[in-house]
Amino acid sequence: MGSQGGFGQSKEFLDLIKSIGECRSKAEEDRIVLREIETLKTRLSSPNTPKFKLKEYLIRLLYVEMLGHDASFGYIHAVKMTHDENLLLKRTGYLAVTLFLNEDHDLIILIVNTIQKDLKSDNYLVVCAALNAVCRLINEETIPAVLPQVVELLGHQKEAVRKKAVMALHRFYQRAPGSVSHLISNFRKRLCDNDPGVMGAALCPLFDLITIDADAYKDLVVSFVNILKQVAERRLPKSYDYHQMPAPFIQIKLLKILALLGSGDKKASEQMYTIVGDIMRKCDSTSNIGNAILYECICCVSSLHPNPKLLEAAADAISKFLKSDSHNLRYLGIDALSRLIKISPEIADAAQHQLAVIDCLEDPDDTLKRKTFELLYKMTKSSNVEVIVDRMIQYMISISDSHYKTEIASRCVELAEQFAPSNQWFIQAMNKVFEHAGDLVNAKVAHNLMRLIAEGFGEDDDAADTQLRSSAVESYLQIMGEPKLPSAFLQVICWVLGEYGTADGKYSASYITGKLCDVAEAHLADDTVKAYAITALMKIYSFEIAAGRAVDVLPECQSLIEEMLASHSTDLQQRAYELQAILSLDANAVEKIMPMNSTCDDIEIDKSLSFLNGYVQQAVENGAQPYIPESERSGMSNISNFKSQEDHESSTHALRFEAYELPKPMLSQNVPPILASSTELVPVPEPSYVSDILQPATSAPSGSDAGPSELRLRLDGVQRKWGRPTYSSATPSTSSNDAVKIQNEATQRDSVGMSNSKARDVSYDSRKQQVEISPEKQKLAASLFGGVSKSDGRQPSSSQKVSKHQNPTSDKSRAAKAAAPDTAVVKTPQTPPDLLDLSEPSISSSAPSVDPFKQWEGLLDLKQDPTPVSAGGVGSTETSDFMSLFTDMSLNVPSDGVAGTMPNVINGNGLGGIMADHSAQQLNKGPNLKQALEKDARVRQMGVTPSGQNPNLFKDLLG
Amino acid sequence: MIHFVLLISRQGKVRLTKWYSPYSMKERSKVIRELSGIILNRGPKLCKFVEWRGYKVVYRRYAGLYICMCVDHDDNELEILEIIHHYVVILDHYFGSVCELDLIFNFHKAYYILDEILIAGELQESNKKTVERLIDAQDLLEEVAEEDASSVNHIIAQASKNK
Repeated sequence: MGSQGGFGQSKEFLDLIKSIGECRSKAEEDRIVLREIETLKTRLSSPNTPKFKLKEYLIRLLYVEMLGHDASFGYIHAVKMTHDENLLLKRTGYLAVTLFLNEDHDLIILIVNTIQKDLKSDNYLVVCAALNAVCRLINEETIPAVLPQVVELLGHQKEAVRKKAVMALHRFYQRAPGSVSHLISNFRKRLCDNDPGVMGAALCPLFDLITIDADAYKDLVVSFVNILKQVAERRLPKSYDYHQMPAPFIQIKLLKILALLGSGDKKASEQMYTIVGDIMRKCDSTSNIGNAILYECICCVSSLHPNPKLLEAAADAISKFLKSDSHNLRYLGIDALSRLIKISPEIADAAQHQLAVIDCLEDPDDTLKRKTFELLYKMTKSSNVEVIVDRMIQYMISISDSHYKTEIASRCVELAEQFAPSNQWFIQAMNKVFEHAGDLVNAKVAHNLMRLIAEGFGEDDDAADTQLRSSAVESYLQIMGEPKLPSAFLQVICWVLGEYGTADGKYSASYITGKLCDVAEAHLADDTVKAYAITALMKIYSFEIAAGRAVDVLPECQSLIEEMLASHSTDLQQRAYELQAILSLDANAVEKIMPMNSTCDDIEIDKSLSFLNGYVQQAVENGAQPYIPESERSGMSNISNFKSQEDHESSTHALRFEAYELPKPMLSQNVPPILASSTELVPVPEPSYVSDILQPATSAPSGSDAGPSELRLRLDGVQRKWGRPTYSSATPSTSSNDAVKIQNEATQRDSVGMSNSKARDVSYDSRKQQVEISPEKQKLAASLFGGVSKSDGRQPSSSQKVSKHQNPTSDKSRAAKAAAPDTAVVKTPQTPPDLLDLSEPSISSSAPSVDPFKQWEGLLDLKQDPTPVSAGGVGSTETSDFMSLFTDMSLNVPSDGVAGTMPNVINGNGLGGIMADHSAQQLNKGPNLKQALEKDARVRQMGVTPSGQNPNLFKDLLG
Repeated sequence: MIHFVLLISRQGKVRLTKWYSPYSMKERSKVIRELSGIILNRGPKLCKFVEWRGYKVVYRRYAGLYICMCVDHDDNELEILEIIHHYVVILDHYFGSVCELDLIFNFHKAYYILDEILIAGELQESNKKTVERLIDAQDLLEEVAEEDASSVNHIIAQASKNK
């Protein structure tokens, strides 16, 4: 009905689209579009153009902009068209302005008047068009102009208008919560609207409101539960059904709201259990939308107060997701697992989940892989941190997407900090992260690392700290020769070498200083690295002087210092001068300036600078202006930082009409630098070299005193991430114990591997191919999941005889493992029962009921389908083959089959459904084919033919 | 919340864009370039979600056309997939077995329909019938307006002839 003959467009427009469609190159397309822009420019501004033609020009303009060209010259015409009386033109005008303009565009002010008028129109379609524009274009400043009318429209007789009015208010709330705060009760009222569409719309703003403050809406829990119940019981009109599910989109929104309301509230949660359980049971897990609801239910369950029954149902649903062939569902399964794992960690113990997770981790699909890393990140413990961080780093190295690289790098750092099993490992891991993503990670991370090396692990164990430092120094000396190290990493290296390079006496001062000079010379363009290097040099020389040793400055160091003395950067200059000054001092003075190993000492800072009071008093008495804090200097707000400017503007967001204040006379010359530095000396989280520049360079001793301490000052502002409690609880405090523990873990893992290989020998003949994949995966699973359950999901698929053999061997290894810390092997039949419990139910569930031949087939299937398959295994591959055939075929079948194509149907049971759909499509084929042929003929008449470039143009989207 | 909707052909040609969050022209073309690079190169069996700049992009392929929606990180991906399908079903009903060419020539109609389904980045109507009824009413009104306009033009033409 919609596509009238010839697509209802003029020949000119069709020609334009045709010629663009046939373009061979981007340059050719650009030429055509530029010519079109010229035409439109003259035609749109010509006064003789008939109005109805204007409409088409505007649409052509939209097309031009869609292709990525600037059409701003025509915006004003779009605005003019909204003023038109003719509805056709008005709608086109509104469409154009909503597409052209952003809400902060200058032209908006010209539309407000029209919108106001149209909101009062008798024709509800005009009101709808205006409301659409309101949602897109009205900004904080213009909200008051339309707000009263929009509120009035909440009571409009047409449900379409009420719905849009609710959405418009929601938009206002998002824009400027303050402007509609007195109207929030209207959303509650609309919840009781007769029309389900309006009710559904009201859920959007309520969801936002509840996200912010759930407590204020606890009284609505009963209403939401009731609504959800009614929806689930199909009490809404049938037209809301979608793929046989009753109003699924409303269900999902309600589940989201319930999740918020029930979170951490036992009483509210209890009211929801029944309905959520009902919905989970009713979900049709063969359709996408059914799974969408199921997934939302899992999210809801994981946020409610825990209920064992629901958790069990959720775990079942998750395992269904994870077993699925569809990547979409596996992705959701992983996501759901990471949600549920927070409240019921034991779900990770299920062996089939573990293998599914590992499969996802090794999947070529990047999206799935990342989701899996997210899950791993959430379940990291001190027992599996090495494997997980190692995997993460490997993946980090392999990708080029800088956004994700940054994220995964900071996650690595976080995990390593929290759960590091040993110093060496930590330093190695950090080295890798910094080497490959150093410029991407937050500067905080680098400072955290320095802080960690300086402070050690926090326990009173100097030996461990020293060991940490020397291992850091050692690894840095090795790594620093490599080309292209990121700047942040070099800074850390320089700092550590400066502080601890000579501390353990292993390396001579000249060796370290030589290395530092190399770094500075290799990175001539990087002032920050050079600054770190020269400060490090200064530290090493002063330690040498303080220790009473003769300092011989290497010639290359000498030349470096001389170069710095003449540097363009004042910061570098100052550092170089300080270094020179120190070299000429005697040991006593140097020790005062640069005390050995003093990075962790606190320096008292008088933030109010009270010692200057007398001086300031005197200056004020002599007629100087008193100091006005930055925040009070209104005229200066432009210069002050971004945030305070924001604040300022939001408080007075109206236009300012008064003249600017006269500039204040300059403060007396001596006061400002000190005051400025006083604000700068406050500990800041990010390094700011301004502070160094601003420090008074006149008094050399105090200035250089601030030099080494400045790093510590910055670190003070850094959020303390080092998770001491988790760390100390996880591993013993001394490093020797650490080592023992690691060894033990290693042997444990070995023994696990051994038991696996033994088991493999027994069952070797029965599953040749499978063996080749499984040992690594089992091992990985064991190390990832802390070896909680060694019985993996494959076991059930091996024959009973095998599992009989396997059990004793693995029991032995378990016994050995249990005894491992004492190294006295207790070979008794008393094995930890929980481990057996895990493996047995799965065996009994599948093995006895299946005849051996079926199982052989199932095993062969495992090659393609890594999830444990029972008797249905053969069927499922056939299904998937059939499915792929079907989807190929269906591309050629033009159809109306809305519910038909479901590429994500994976369940073997879905076979019947597909057949039914297929036949339905066959039935539909007749008229549609005709229609398609007609369209084809029509198109050919116009001379638009599908070229080799775009063969799909005529293909029905739903085919 | 849905931040934007993109319709891209297999050749990377843009068929429709709708932005619900503010993006400058420059950002827009950058986003389109980036995403079409990612999405068009994904294999058919991979999942239909892409994590991108802290958002998630959900896409679905129909013949030679990719429909993508960019959503927040905590949105339900399968639901978005079905919203896309919901849109296509309505397009299909409106155009009568819709094909890419319908959308090229009548992209403004596709916009009108999208405006009845999504508003301000949220799903406003999940009832197919309601959307179709509204669109029909609008079309009817436009036809009347068009007739009026042409008759007015006719009168004007007549009048100017008579002069």
